[in-house]
Amino acid sequence: MNLQAQDLSLGYGDTAVVEGLTLDIPEGKMTAILGPNGCGKSTLLRALARLIKPIRGRVVLDGEDIHALNTRALARRMAILPQAPLAPEGISVADLVRRGRTPWRGFLSPWRDEDAAACAAALEAVQMTDLADRPLNELSGGQRQRAWIALVLAQEAPLLLLDEPTTFLDLVHQIDVLTLLRTRNRDTGMTVISVLHDLNMAARFNDFLVLLGPNGLVATGAPDTVLTPDNLDRAFRLKAQVQPDPVTGNPMVFPL
Amino acid sequence: MRPVALVLVLLAAVAAGLLYGQEAVSVAMLWDGILTGEGPGALMIDTFRGPRVATAVGAGAVLGMSGALFQTLFRNPLAAPDVMGFTSGAGLAVVAATAFGLTLPMPLIAAVGGLLAGLLVALLAYRPGHSTPPLTLILVGLGVAFFTSALSTFLMTLLPYNEAAEAQRWLTGSLAARDWSHVAQVWILGTLLGAAALVQARRLEVLELGEDLAAGLGLKVEQARWGISATGVLLAATGVAVAGPVPFVALMSGPLGARITCAKSGTGRMLSAAGAGAVVLVLSDLAARAALPGIVLPAGVMTGILGAPYLLWRLSREMERGKL
Repeated sequence: MNLQAQDLSLGYGDTAVVEGLTLDIPEGKMTAILGPNGCGKSTLLRALARLIKPIRGRVVLDGEDIHALNTRALARRMAILPQAPLAPEGISVADLVRRGRTPWRGFLSPWRDEDAAACAAALEAVQMTDLADRPLNELSGGQRQRAWIALVLAQEAPLLLLDEPTTFLDLVHQIDVLTLLRTRNRDTGMTVISVLHDLNMAARFNDFLVLLGPNGLVATGAPDTVLTPDNLDRAFRLKAQVQPDPVTGNPMVFPL
Repeated sequence: MRPVALVLVLLAAVAAGLLYGQEAVSVAMLWDGILTGEGPGALMIDTFRGPRVATAVGAGAVLGMSGALFQTLFRNPLAAPDVMGFTSGAGLAVVAATAFGLTLPMPLIAAVGGLLAGLLVALLAYRPGHSTPPLTLILVGLGVAFFTSALSTFLMTLLPYNEAAEAQRWLTGSLAARDWSHVAQVWILGTLLGAAALVQARRLEVLELGEDLAAGLGLKVEQARWGISATGVLLAATGVAVAGPVPFVALMSGPLGARITCAKSGTGRMLSAAGAGAVVLVLSDLAARAALPGIVLPAGVMTGILGAPYLLWRLSREMERGKL
Protein backbone atom coordinates (compact mmCIF):
# COMPACT_ATOMS: atom_id res chain seq x y z
CA MET A 1 0.00 0.00 0.00
CA ASN A 2 1.87 2.99 -1.25
CA LEU A 3 0.15 6.28 -0.50
CA GLN A 4 1.30 9.50 -2.13
CA ALA A 5 0.16 13.09 -2.33
CA GLN A 6 1.00 14.65 -5.67
CA ASP A 7 1.02 18.43 -5.98
CA LEU A 8 -1.93 18.57 -3.62
CA SER A 9 -3.83 21.81 -2.98
CA LEU A 10 -6.57 21.67 -0.37
CA GLY A 11 -9.06 24.06 1.05
CA TYR A 12 -12.66 24.93 1.70
CA GLY A 13 -14.39 27.23 -0.77
CA ASP A 14 -11.91 29.74 -2.13
CA THR A 15 -9.33 29.64 0.67
CA ALA A 16 -6.50 27.19 0.14
CA VAL A 17 -5.17 25.69 3.38
CA VAL A 18 -2.50 23.52 1.81
CA GLU A 19 -0.85 24.30 -1.52
CA GLY A 20 1.24 22.22 -3.88
CA LEU A 21 2.11 19.51 -1.37
CA THR A 22 3.93 16.40 -2.53
CA LEU A 23 4.46 13.58 -0.11
CA ASP A 24 5.36 9.91 -0.10
CA ILE A 25 4.06 8.01 2.93
CA PRO A 26 6.45 5.14 3.77
CA GLU A 27 4.81 1.73 3.61
CA GLY A 28 4.50 -0.36 6.75
CA LYS A 29 5.62 2.50 8.99
CA MET A 30 4.08 4.80 11.55
CA THR A 31 3.70 8.35 10.24
CA ALA A 32 2.59 11.39 12.22
CA ILE A 33 1.35 14.66 10.75
CA LEU A 34 2.34 17.59 12.99
CA GLY A 35 1.95 21.34 12.96
CA PRO A 36 0.30 24.32 14.63
CA ASN A 37 -3.49 24.71 14.83
CA GLY A 38 -4.99 25.81 11.54
CA CYS A 39 -2.08 24.70 9.37
CA GLY A 40 -4.17 22.05 7.65
CA LYS A 41 -3.08 18.84 9.42
CA SER A 42 -6.58 17.43 9.61
CA THR A 43 -7.39 18.74 6.15
CA LEU A 44 -4.41 16.83 4.78
CA LEU A 45 -5.45 13.65 6.59
CA ARG A 46 -9.02 14.03 5.34
CA ALA A 47 -7.75 14.42 1.78
CA LEU A 48 -5.54 11.33 2.13
CA ALA A 49 -8.66 9.49 3.37
CA ARG A 50 -10.78 10.73 0.43
CA LEU A 51 -13.13 12.59 2.75
CA ILE A 52 -12.52 15.81 0.81
CA LYS A 53 -11.73 16.46 -2.83
CA PRO A 54 -8.52 18.34 -3.55
CA ILE A 55 -8.72 21.68 -5.36
CA ARG A 56 -5.74 20.58 -7.40
CA GLY A 57 -3.42 17.57 -7.51
CA ARG A 58 -4.25 14.07 -6.40
CA VAL A 59 -3.83 11.38 -3.79
CA VAL A 60 -2.49 8.16 -5.24
CA LEU A 61 -2.80 4.70 -3.73
CA ASP A 62 -0.64 2.07 -5.45
CA GLY A 63 -0.56 4.14 -8.63
CA GLU A 64 -4.28 4.92 -8.78
CA ASP A 65 -6.05 8.18 -7.94
CA ILE A 66 -8.15 7.38 -4.85
CA HIS A 67 -11.09 9.31 -6.28
CA ALA A 68 -11.18 6.84 -9.17
CA LEU A 69 -11.45 3.83 -6.84
CA ASN A 70 -14.63 2.01 -5.88
CA THR A 71 -15.75 3.18 -2.41
CA ARG A 72 -16.04 -0.28 -0.93
CA ALA A 73 -12.81 -1.52 -2.48
CA LEU A 74 -11.04 1.49 -1.00
CA ALA A 75 -12.55 0.75 2.42
CA ARG A 76 -10.96 -2.71 2.31
CA ARG A 77 -7.55 -1.14 1.82
CA MET A 78 -7.84 1.98 3.95
CA ALA A 79 -9.55 2.50 7.32
CA ILE A 80 -10.25 5.91 8.84
CA LEU A 81 -10.95 6.92 12.41
CA PRO A 82 -12.25 10.51 12.44
CA GLN A 83 -11.66 12.84 15.34
CA ALA A 84 -15.17 12.69 16.75
CA PRO A 85 -17.12 9.65 15.56
CA LEU A 86 -20.70 9.44 16.78
CA ALA A 87 -21.78 6.67 19.12
CA PRO A 88 -25.34 5.37 18.65
CA GLU A 89 -27.28 5.47 21.90
CA GLY A 90 -26.80 2.45 24.13
CA ILE A 91 -24.56 0.55 21.69
CA SER A 92 -22.33 -2.17 23.12
CA VAL A 93 -18.62 -2.46 22.35
CA ALA A 94 -19.17 -5.71 20.43
CA ASP A 95 -21.92 -4.15 18.29
CA LEU A 96 -19.74 -1.18 17.55
CA VAL A 97 -16.80 -3.34 16.47
CA ARG A 98 -19.08 -5.47 14.29
CA ARG A 99 -19.85 -2.42 12.15
CA GLY A 100 -16.18 -2.38 11.18
CA ARG A 101 -16.92 -5.40 8.98
CA THR A 102 -19.15 -3.34 6.68
CA PRO A 103 -16.83 -3.20 3.64
CA TRP A 104 -16.45 -7.00 3.68
CA ARG A 105 -20.14 -7.80 3.87
CA GLY A 106 -22.51 -7.94 0.93
CA PHE A 107 -25.84 -6.15 0.79
CA LEU A 108 -27.70 -9.00 2.44
CA SER A 109 -24.93 -11.45 3.23
CA PRO A 110 -25.10 -13.10 6.64
CA TRP A 111 -22.55 -12.81 9.42
CA ARG A 112 -19.68 -15.19 8.58
CA ASP A 113 -17.05 -16.93 10.71
CA GLU A 114 -14.34 -14.71 9.28
CA ASP A 115 -16.28 -11.62 10.38
CA ALA A 116 -16.54 -13.00 13.90
CA ALA A 117 -12.85 -13.90 13.89
CA ALA A 118 -11.83 -10.40 12.74
CA CYS A 119 -13.91 -8.80 15.50
CA ALA A 120 -12.54 -11.14 18.15
CA ALA A 121 -8.98 -10.41 17.02
CA ALA A 122 -9.63 -6.65 17.03
CA LEU A 123 -11.05 -6.75 20.56
CA GLU A 124 -8.09 -8.88 21.63
CA ALA A 125 -5.64 -6.38 20.11
CA VAL A 126 -7.11 -3.51 22.14
CA GLN A 127 -7.48 -5.76 25.22
CA MET A 128 -11.20 -5.30 25.48
CA THR A 129 -12.45 -8.86 25.03
CA ASP A 130 -13.89 -8.91 28.55
CA LEU A 131 -15.64 -5.56 28.03
CA ALA A 132 -17.29 -6.60 24.74
CA ASP A 133 -20.84 -6.66 26.09
CA ARG A 134 -20.60 -3.39 27.99
CA PRO A 135 -22.39 -0.30 26.66
CA LEU A 136 -19.89 2.13 25.14
CA ASN A 137 -21.17 5.15 27.07
CA GLU A 138 -20.45 3.48 30.41
CA LEU A 139 -16.75 3.18 29.65
CA SER A 140 -13.91 5.59 30.43
CA GLY A 141 -12.52 7.90 27.73
CA GLY A 142 -9.49 5.68 27.19
CA GLN A 143 -11.59 2.54 26.89
CA ARG A 144 -13.96 4.23 24.49
CA GLN A 145 -11.11 5.28 22.24
CA ARG A 146 -9.78 1.71 22.26
CA ALA A 147 -13.23 0.46 21.27
CA TRP A 148 -13.28 2.84 18.30
CA ILE A 149 -9.80 1.64 17.34
CA ALA A 150 -11.06 -1.94 17.55
CA LEU A 151 -13.77 -0.99 15.04
CA VAL A 152 -11.23 0.20 12.47
CA LEU A 153 -8.95 -2.78 13.19
CA ALA A 154 -11.85 -5.14 12.49
CA GLN A 155 -11.98 -3.49 9.08
CA GLU A 156 -8.68 -5.32 8.37
CA ALA A 157 -7.34 -2.64 6.05
CA PRO A 158 -3.54 -2.53 5.64
CA LEU A 159 -3.65 1.27 5.92
CA LEU A 160 -5.06 3.11 8.95
CA LEU A 161 -5.58 6.86 9.21
CA LEU A 162 -6.43 8.47 12.54
CA ASP A 163 -7.38 12.09 13.18
CA GLU A 164 -6.02 13.17 16.58
CA PRO A 165 -6.54 9.78 18.26
CA THR A 166 -5.00 10.95 21.54
CA THR A 167 -6.33 14.50 21.89
CA PHE A 168 -8.91 13.91 24.61
CA LEU A 169 -6.84 11.40 26.59
CA ASP A 170 -4.58 11.79 29.62
CA LEU A 171 -0.89 10.88 29.34
CA VAL A 172 -1.26 7.26 30.41
CA HIS A 173 -4.06 6.61 27.92
CA GLN A 174 -2.19 8.46 25.17
CA ILE A 175 0.73 6.07 25.65
CA ASP A 176 -1.72 3.20 25.83
CA VAL A 177 -3.28 4.04 22.48
CA LEU A 178 0.00 4.79 20.71
CA THR A 179 1.62 1.60 22.06
CA LEU A 180 -1.32 -0.39 20.81
CA LEU A 181 -1.00 1.12 17.33
CA ARG A 182 2.77 0.55 17.41
CA THR A 183 2.30 -3.11 18.35
CA ARG A 184 -0.23 -3.61 15.62
CA ASN A 185 2.10 -1.92 13.12
CA ARG A 186 4.99 -4.21 14.12
CA ASP A 187 2.88 -7.38 14.20
CA THR A 188 0.96 -6.96 10.97
CA GLY A 189 2.94 -4.41 8.97
CA MET A 190 -0.07 -2.07 8.94
CA THR A 191 0.76 1.45 7.78
CA VAL A 192 -0.46 3.97 10.36
CA ILE A 193 -0.90 7.68 9.66
CA SER A 194 -2.10 9.92 12.46
CA VAL A 195 -2.51 13.58 13.20
CA LEU A 196 -0.92 14.29 16.57
CA HIS A 197 -0.41 17.36 18.75
CA ASP A 198 2.25 16.22 21.18
CA LEU A 199 5.65 16.50 19.49
CA ASN A 200 7.46 14.28 22.00
CA MET A 201 4.85 11.53 21.76
CA ALA A 202 5.00 11.77 17.98
CA ALA A 203 8.79 11.43 18.01
CA ARG A 204 8.68 8.49 20.37
CA PHE A 205 6.12 6.36 18.51
CA ASN A 206 6.61 7.23 14.86
CA ASP A 207 9.12 6.37 12.15
CA PHE A 208 8.26 9.25 9.88
CA LEU A 209 7.09 12.78 10.62
CA VAL A 210 5.35 15.29 8.36
CA LEU A 211 5.77 18.79 9.79
CA LEU A 212 3.45 21.47 8.45
CA GLY A 213 3.75 25.19 9.12
CA PRO A 214 1.59 28.22 8.35
CA ASN A 215 3.10 28.37 4.86
CA GLY A 216 2.91 24.71 3.97
CA LEU A 217 5.26 21.78 4.33
CA VAL A 218 8.31 22.44 6.56
CA ALA A 219 10.01 19.04 6.67
CA THR A 220 9.47 15.32 6.32
CA GLY A 221 11.61 12.42 7.48
CA ALA A 222 12.78 10.56 10.56
CA PRO A 223 12.01 12.28 13.89
CA ASP A 224 15.61 13.39 14.53
CA THR A 225 15.89 15.08 11.15
CA VAL A 226 12.49 16.79 11.37
CA LEU A 227 12.39 17.99 14.97
CA THR A 228 15.24 20.51 14.81
CA PRO A 229 15.23 23.97 16.44
CA ASP A 230 15.22 25.55 13.00
CA ASN A 231 12.22 23.55 11.75
CA LEU A 232 10.28 24.15 14.97
CA ASP A 233 10.82 27.87 14.57
CA ARG A 234 9.54 27.76 11.00
CA ALA A 235 6.52 25.63 11.80
CA PHE A 236 5.42 26.95 15.19
CA ARG A 237 7.51 30.14 15.62
CA LEU A 238 8.74 28.29 18.66
CA LYS A 239 12.20 28.88 20.10
CA ALA A 240 13.23 25.52 21.47
CA GLN A 241 16.13 23.24 22.23
CA VAL A 242 16.05 19.64 21.13
CA GLN A 243 17.75 16.99 23.29
CA PRO A 244 17.68 13.20 23.13
CA ASP A 245 14.95 11.65 25.26
CA PRO A 246 16.80 10.04 28.23
CA VAL A 247 14.62 6.93 28.01
CA THR A 248 14.46 6.15 24.31
CA GLY A 249 17.00 8.47 22.70
CA ASN A 250 14.34 10.05 20.45
CA PRO A 251 14.44 13.81 20.01
CA MET A 252 12.67 15.72 22.76
CA VAL A 253 11.58 19.33 22.47
CA PHE A 254 12.28 21.84 25.24
CA PRO A 255 10.62 25.21 24.55
CA LEU A 256 12.81 28.15 25.61
CA MET B 1 -38.48 -11.98 25.20
CA ARG B 2 -39.43 -8.32 25.03
CA PRO B 3 -40.54 -8.31 21.35
CA VAL B 4 -43.19 -10.80 22.41
CA ALA B 5 -44.61 -8.13 24.72
CA LEU B 6 -45.12 -5.78 21.79
CA VAL B 7 -46.83 -8.51 19.72
CA LEU B 8 -49.16 -9.28 22.65
CA VAL B 9 -50.00 -5.60 23.15
CA LEU B 10 -50.77 -5.31 19.43
CA LEU B 11 -53.03 -8.37 19.46
CA ALA B 12 -54.85 -7.03 22.52
CA ALA B 13 -55.27 -3.63 20.82
CA VAL B 14 -56.68 -5.26 17.69
CA ALA B 15 -59.11 -7.35 19.77
CA ALA B 16 -60.23 -4.27 21.69
CA GLY B 17 -60.62 -2.36 18.43
CA LEU B 18 -62.99 -5.06 17.13
CA LEU B 19 -64.95 -5.48 20.36
CA TYR B 20 -65.50 -1.90 21.45
CA GLY B 21 -66.79 1.28 19.89
CA GLN B 22 -70.06 3.13 20.10
CA GLU B 23 -71.57 -0.27 20.88
CA ALA B 24 -69.66 -3.19 22.32
CA VAL B 25 -70.05 -6.67 20.90
CA SER B 26 -69.32 -9.68 23.05
CA VAL B 27 -66.40 -12.01 22.44
CA ALA B 28 -68.93 -14.80 21.84
CA MET B 29 -70.74 -12.79 19.14
CA LEU B 30 -67.47 -11.93 17.45
CA TRP B 31 -66.30 -15.54 17.60
CA ASP B 32 -69.60 -16.73 16.24
CA GLY B 33 -69.26 -14.24 13.41
CA ILE B 34 -65.80 -15.53 12.56
CA LEU B 35 -66.97 -19.15 12.54
CA THR B 36 -70.28 -18.82 10.74
CA GLY B 37 -69.72 -15.66 8.72
CA GLU B 38 -73.16 -14.47 9.75
CA GLY B 39 -74.81 -12.30 12.40
CA PRO B 40 -73.69 -9.04 14.04
CA GLY B 41 -70.19 -10.41 14.75
CA ALA B 42 -69.59 -11.08 11.07
CA LEU B 43 -70.95 -7.67 10.17
CA MET B 44 -68.49 -6.04 12.57
CA ILE B 45 -65.56 -7.95 11.10
CA ASP B 46 -66.50 -7.78 7.42
CA THR B 47 -67.90 -4.30 7.15
CA PHE B 48 -67.58 -2.00 10.14
CA ARG B 49 -64.64 -2.52 12.42
CA GLY B 50 -62.60 -5.15 10.57
CA PRO B 51 -61.35 -3.03 7.66
CA ARG B 52 -61.05 -0.02 9.95
CA VAL B 53 -58.78 -1.80 12.43
CA ALA B 54 -56.79 -3.55 9.69
CA THR B 55 -56.23 -0.21 7.96
CA ALA B 56 -55.17 1.34 11.27
CA VAL B 57 -52.65 -1.47 11.84
CA GLY B 58 -51.16 -0.97 8.37
CA ALA B 59 -51.15 2.83 8.42
CA GLY B 60 -49.77 2.97 11.98
CA ALA B 61 -47.02 0.53 11.06
CA VAL B 62 -45.83 2.43 7.97
CA LEU B 63 -45.96 5.76 9.80
CA GLY B 64 -44.07 4.32 12.78
CA MET B 65 -41.41 2.79 10.58
CA SER B 66 -41.02 6.02 8.66
CA GLY B 67 -40.53 7.89 11.95
CA ALA B 68 -37.85 5.44 13.09
CA LEU B 69 -36.01 5.83 9.76
CA PHE B 70 -35.81 9.61 10.03
CA GLN B 71 -35.09 9.63 13.75
CA THR B 72 -32.14 7.31 13.25
CA LEU B 73 -30.94 9.00 10.07
CA PHE B 74 -30.92 12.47 11.65
CA ARG B 75 -29.98 11.21 15.11
CA ASN B 76 -32.77 13.24 16.62
CA PRO B 77 -36.02 12.02 18.23
CA LEU B 78 -37.81 15.09 16.84
CA ALA B 79 -37.08 14.11 13.24
CA ALA B 80 -40.32 12.52 12.07
CA PRO B 81 -42.28 12.87 8.83
CA ASP B 82 -45.21 14.46 10.67
CA VAL B 83 -42.99 17.10 12.31
CA MET B 84 -40.98 17.79 9.16
CA GLY B 85 -43.90 18.40 6.84
CA PHE B 86 -43.76 15.23 4.73
CA THR B 87 -47.18 13.97 5.83
CA SER B 88 -48.79 17.40 5.48
CA GLY B 89 -47.19 17.65 2.03
CA ALA B 90 -48.82 14.36 1.12
CA GLY B 91 -52.09 15.64 2.58
CA LEU B 92 -51.88 18.84 0.56
CA ALA B 93 -51.39 16.87 -2.64
CA VAL B 94 -54.51 14.81 -1.97
CA VAL B 95 -56.62 17.89 -1.19
CA ALA B 96 -55.26 19.65 -4.28
CA ALA B 97 -56.06 16.63 -6.45
CA THR B 98 -59.61 16.62 -5.08
CA ALA B 99 -60.02 20.36 -5.56
CA PHE B 100 -58.80 20.26 -9.15
CA GLY B 101 -60.61 17.03 -9.99
CA LEU B 102 -57.55 14.86 -10.66
CA THR B 103 -58.43 11.18 -10.54
CA LEU B 104 -55.14 9.40 -9.92
CA PRO B 105 -54.62 6.66 -7.33
CA MET B 106 -54.43 8.15 -3.82
CA PRO B 107 -51.08 6.57 -2.84
CA LEU B 108 -49.46 8.00 -5.97
CA ILE B 109 -50.75 11.49 -5.26
CA ALA B 110 -49.72 11.28 -1.60
CA ALA B 111 -46.27 9.98 -2.59
CA VAL B 112 -45.71 12.86 -5.01
CA GLY B 113 -46.82 15.37 -2.37
CA GLY B 114 -44.59 13.84 0.30
CA LEU B 115 -41.57 13.70 -1.98
CA LEU B 116 -42.08 17.31 -3.10
CA ALA B 117 -42.31 18.43 0.52
CA GLY B 118 -39.10 16.49 1.26
CA LEU B 119 -37.29 18.11 -1.67
CA LEU B 120 -38.52 21.52 -0.58
CA VAL B 121 -37.11 20.95 2.93
CA ALA B 122 -33.77 19.76 1.52
CA LEU B 123 -33.62 22.70 -0.87
CA LEU B 124 -34.51 25.36 1.70
CA ALA B 125 -32.02 23.97 4.22
CA TYR B 126 -29.23 23.60 1.65
CA ARG B 127 -26.10 25.68 2.01
CA PRO B 128 -23.38 25.08 -0.58
CA GLY B 129 -20.26 23.39 0.76
CA HIS B 130 -21.71 22.49 4.14
CA SER B 131 -23.61 19.49 5.32
CA THR B 132 -26.90 20.58 6.85
CA PRO B 133 -27.25 20.03 10.61
CA PRO B 134 -30.26 17.80 11.39
CA LEU B 135 -31.82 20.44 13.63
CA THR B 136 -31.87 22.91 10.72
CA LEU B 137 -33.68 20.31 8.61
CA ILE B 138 -36.21 19.71 11.39
CA LEU B 139 -36.94 23.42 11.84
CA VAL B 140 -37.18 24.05 8.11
CA GLY B 141 -39.48 21.00 7.94
CA LEU B 142 -41.65 22.45 10.68
CA GLY B 143 -42.00 25.59 8.56
CA VAL B 144 -42.92 23.54 5.50
CA ALA B 145 -45.49 21.65 7.59
CA PHE B 146 -47.23 24.89 8.57
CA PHE B 147 -47.06 26.21 5.03
CA THR B 148 -48.52 23.07 3.42
CA SER B 149 -51.26 22.82 6.08
CA ALA B 150 -52.21 26.43 5.40
CA LEU B 151 -52.36 25.73 1.67
CA SER B 152 -54.60 22.71 2.32
CA THR B 153 -56.96 24.86 4.35
CA PHE B 154 -57.01 27.44 1.57
CA LEU B 155 -57.78 24.82 -1.08
CA MET B 156 -60.64 23.49 1.02
CA THR B 157 -62.45 26.79 0.54
CA LEU B 158 -62.63 25.97 -3.17
CA LEU B 159 -64.59 22.79 -2.46
CA PRO B 160 -68.35 22.50 -2.13
CA TYR B 161 -69.57 22.40 1.46
CA ASN B 162 -69.96 18.62 1.82
CA GLU B 163 -66.67 17.80 0.22
CA ALA B 164 -64.92 20.45 2.29
CA ALA B 165 -66.27 18.89 5.48
CA GLU B 166 -65.08 15.50 4.28
CA ALA B 167 -61.64 16.91 3.42
CA GLN B 168 -61.43 18.58 6.83
CA ARG B 169 -62.14 15.28 8.52
CA TRP B 170 -59.60 13.47 6.38
CA LEU B 171 -56.91 16.11 7.00
CA THR B 172 -57.30 15.59 10.76
CA GLY B 173 -56.43 11.95 10.18
CA SER B 174 -59.40 9.65 10.02
CA LEU B 175 -60.15 5.98 9.55
CA ALA B 176 -63.84 6.44 8.89
CA ALA B 177 -65.43 4.49 6.03
CA ARG B 178 -62.40 2.31 5.27
CA ASP B 179 -63.07 -0.84 3.24
CA TRP B 180 -60.97 -3.86 2.32
CA SER B 181 -59.50 -2.09 -0.73
CA HIS B 182 -57.82 0.36 1.67
CA VAL B 183 -56.56 -2.55 3.73
CA ALA B 184 -55.09 -4.28 0.68
CA GLN B 185 -53.53 -1.04 -0.50
CA VAL B 186 -51.75 -0.14 2.73
CA TRP B 187 -50.69 -3.71 3.48
CA ILE B 188 -49.26 -4.43 0.04
CA LEU B 189 -47.45 -1.11 -0.36
CA GLY B 190 -46.40 -1.21 3.29
CA THR B 191 -44.89 -4.68 2.93
CA LEU B 192 -42.92 -3.69 -0.18
CA LEU B 193 -41.64 -0.43 1.28
CA GLY B 194 -41.02 -2.03 4.67
CA ALA B 195 -38.83 -4.62 2.98
CA ALA B 196 -36.97 -1.81 1.20
CA ALA B 197 -36.43 -0.11 4.55
CA LEU B 198 -35.15 -3.29 6.21
CA VAL B 199 -32.71 -3.87 3.36
CA GLN B 200 -31.26 -0.43 4.10
CA ALA B 201 -31.01 -1.04 7.85
CA ARG B 202 -27.33 -1.93 7.67
CA ARG B 203 -26.52 1.31 5.85
CA LEU B 204 -28.46 3.22 8.46
CA GLU B 205 -26.43 1.57 11.23
CA VAL B 206 -23.21 2.67 9.54
CA LEU B 207 -24.48 6.22 8.88
CA GLU B 208 -25.23 6.50 12.58
CA LEU B 209 -21.49 6.50 13.28
CA GLY B 210 -21.12 9.87 11.53
CA GLU B 211 -20.58 10.58 7.86
CA ASP B 212 -16.77 10.46 7.93
CA LEU B 213 -16.58 7.04 9.53
CA ALA B 214 -19.43 5.82 7.32
CA ALA B 215 -17.49 6.94 4.24
CA GLY B 216 -14.38 5.25 5.61
CA LEU B 217 -16.36 2.04 5.97
CA GLY B 218 -17.14 2.14 2.26
CA LEU B 219 -20.60 3.70 2.27
CA LYS B 220 -21.63 6.14 -0.44
CA VAL B 221 -22.96 8.55 2.14
CA GLU B 222 -25.08 10.90 0.03
CA GLN B 223 -26.59 8.08 -1.98
CA ALA B 224 -27.45 6.10 1.16
CA ARG B 225 -29.00 9.15 2.80
CA TRP B 226 -31.22 9.93 -0.18
CA GLY B 227 -32.28 6.29 -0.50
CA ILE B 228 -33.29 6.08 3.15
CA SER B 229 -35.07 9.45 3.03
CA ALA B 230 -37.05 8.52 -0.07
CA THR B 231 -38.09 5.21 1.50
CA GLY B 232 -39.16 7.04 4.66
CA VAL B 233 -41.23 9.60 2.75
CA LEU B 234 -42.94 6.88 0.68
CA LEU B 235 -43.76 4.87 3.80
CA ALA B 236 -45.33 7.93 5.40
CA ALA B 237 -47.25 8.75 2.20
CA THR B 238 -48.62 5.20 2.11
CA GLY B 239 -50.08 5.78 5.57
CA VAL B 240 -51.43 9.20 4.63
CA ALA B 241 -53.16 7.78 1.55
CA VAL B 242 -55.43 5.60 3.69
CA ALA B 243 -55.63 7.44 7.01
CA GLY B 244 -54.88 11.08 6.24
CA PRO B 245 -51.98 12.98 7.79
CA VAL B 246 -52.60 11.69 11.33
CA PRO B 247 -50.34 13.72 13.59
CA PHE B 248 -47.63 12.39 15.91
CA VAL B 249 -47.95 8.63 15.25
CA ALA B 250 -44.60 8.63 13.42
CA LEU B 251 -43.04 10.88 16.07
CA MET B 252 -44.03 8.72 19.04
CA SER B 253 -43.64 5.21 17.68
CA GLY B 254 -39.86 4.89 17.37
CA PRO B 255 -39.00 5.70 21.00
CA LEU B 256 -42.08 3.86 22.28
CA GLY B 257 -41.32 0.70 20.30
CA ALA B 258 -37.65 0.67 21.28
CA ARG B 259 -38.68 1.16 24.92
CA ILE B 260 -40.95 -1.89 24.79
CA THR B 261 -38.71 -4.27 22.85
CA CYS B 262 -35.27 -2.97 23.95
CA ALA B 263 -34.20 -3.39 20.31
CA LYS B 264 -30.74 -2.08 19.46
CA SER B 265 -30.17 -3.15 15.86
CA GLY B 266 -31.47 -1.06 12.99
CA THR B 267 -33.82 -3.83 11.84
CA GLY B 268 -35.10 -4.39 15.38
CA ARG B 269 -35.81 -0.71 15.95
CA MET B 270 -37.69 -0.37 12.66
CA LEU B 271 -39.89 -3.38 13.36
CA SER B 272 -40.51 -2.17 16.92
CA ALA B 273 -41.52 1.24 15.62
CA ALA B 274 -43.88 -0.38 13.12
CA GLY B 275 -45.52 -2.42 15.90
CA ALA B 276 -45.79 0.56 18.22
CA GLY B 277 -47.26 2.71 15.43
CA ALA B 278 -49.94 0.10 14.80
CA VAL B 279 -50.79 -0.04 18.51
CA VAL B 280 -50.94 3.77 18.82
CA LEU B 281 -53.19 4.21 15.80
CA VAL B 282 -55.55 1.31 16.60
CA LEU B 283 -56.00 2.50 20.18
CA SER B 284 -56.31 6.17 19.21
CA ASP B 285 -58.98 5.28 16.68
CA LEU B 286 -60.78 3.17 19.27
CA ALA B 287 -60.68 5.97 21.83
CA ALA B 288 -61.84 8.47 19.22
CA ARG B 289 -64.86 6.42 18.29
CA ALA B 290 -65.79 5.20 21.80
CA ALA B 291 -65.07 8.31 23.91
CA LEU B 292 -68.23 10.34 23.31
CA PRO B 293 -71.68 8.77 22.98
CA GLY B 294 -73.22 9.49 19.60
CA ILE B 295 -70.10 11.16 18.21
CA VAL B 296 -67.34 9.42 16.24
CA LEU B 297 -64.25 11.62 16.30
CA PRO B 298 -61.46 11.31 13.71
CA ALA B 299 -58.51 9.28 15.03
CA GLY B 300 -56.21 12.27 14.47
CA VAL B 301 -57.94 14.14 17.30
CA MET B 302 -56.80 11.42 19.68
CA THR B 303 -53.24 11.12 18.36
CA GLY B 304 -53.06 14.90 18.61
CA ILE B 305 -54.17 14.83 22.25
CA LEU B 306 -51.59 12.12 22.97
CA GLY B 307 -48.85 13.49 20.76
CA ALA B 308 -48.79 17.17 21.62
CA PRO B 309 -47.86 16.63 25.30
CA TYR B 310 -45.31 14.05 24.15
CA LEU B 311 -43.78 16.61 21.76
CA LEU B 312 -43.59 19.21 24.55
CA TRP B 313 -41.99 16.70 26.90
CA ARG B 314 -39.50 15.73 24.17
CA LEU B 315 -38.66 19.36 23.48
CA SER B 316 -38.01 20.13 27.12
CA ARG B 317 -35.89 17.01 27.48
CA GLU B 318 -33.82 17.84 24.41
CA MET B 319 -33.36 21.37 25.74
CA GLU B 320 -32.15 20.02 29.08
CA ARG B 321 -29.65 17.83 27.29
CA GLY B 322 -28.48 20.90 25.41
CA LYS B 323 -29.39 19.54 22.00
CA LEU B 324 -31.74 22.40 21.14
